[in-house]
Amino acid sequence: MELHVLIVDDSPAMRNFIRRVLDLSGLEVGLCLEASNGEEALRVLEDHWVDAVLTDINMPEMDGEELLRQMSAHPVLRSIPVLVVSTDRTEARIQKMLTLGARGYVTKPFAPETLRDELVQSLGGGDGSN
Amino acid sequence: MNSCKVWGVVMEATEIHAALAAAVEEVLETMCFLSVNASGEGAGPADLEAIPEAADEEDARMLTSELRFEGRMPGTFRLSLPMDLAQVAGAAFLALDEPAATDAQAGEVVCELANMICGAALGRLEHGTIFRLSHPELIPDLQDLNPSPSGSVRWFDTGEGFLTVALALQPEYAV
Repeated sequence: MELHVLIVDDSPAMRNFIRRVLDLSGLEVGLCLEASNGEEALRVLEDHWVDAVLTDINMPEMDGEELLRQMSAHPVLRSIPVLVVSTDRTEARIQKMLTLGARGYVTKPFAPETLRDELVQSLGGGDGSN
Repeated sequence: MNSCKVWGVVMEATEIHAALAAAVEEVLETMCFLSVNASGEGAGPADLEAIPEAADEEDARMLTSELRFEGRMPGTFRLSLPMDLAQVAGAAFLALDEPAATDAQAGEVVCELANMICGAALGRLEHGTIFRLSHPELIPDLQDLNPSPSGSVRWFDTGEGFLTVALALQPEYAV
């Protein structure tokens, strides 16, 4: 089954990097949508269903924390697994995001296999590869 | 700068230098496959004259990205490198077929590298407290890399050129 994902990051270079990691991950990736902040992500999610959201925290307009908060409060979007991908590696931040509903947390910089493994874990642990 | 004060705890400059070195090494090796050698460190404009790139290639096009951070010790971070090195790093980061990224791609990658290096350094210095980084921005025609006389500066040899990072805490945190 194809995996549809939404990548939320204000850095075009990082969105590009994550997209490449997913392409090479062995996962069967279908739609790979992008947004540059939380507000844009919510607009994308109004029109598209995705299987997972990968989001940064520090972004202009709406940050990843508020995106997670709004998704968790939404009757439909709350079921979408969210994986946080951030430079912030402090335990307090990680715990806060997990408490808000994130299924996983990857700190930048990361090895491609780390992102893949965390994403698979966030999706429920199944392999999902071809 | 020899030390700074964080919630009454004095942090030695060597701790900041070590955090910067570890962050640069981790980010460049993981994301751009570049190995680095720490070549020097200092504080203040006088020390910057020792940076080989700045001293030998005054006309080299430099790319500098700056961001501000907030937390228990707010301040400014800068990453600066020659355009040639930025293009090589950009091509590796973006996995391009070409050996060098375009100027625009190099700029995007340098901003993201600044974000990651600053975050990785603060993660080592903040000891568990939450911090927030601003959106990195490119600064054209920067005259002085160090944002403050009390800032910490380190430069590194990547084999493809020299890269410099500077971290300056707000004045009230400098001792």
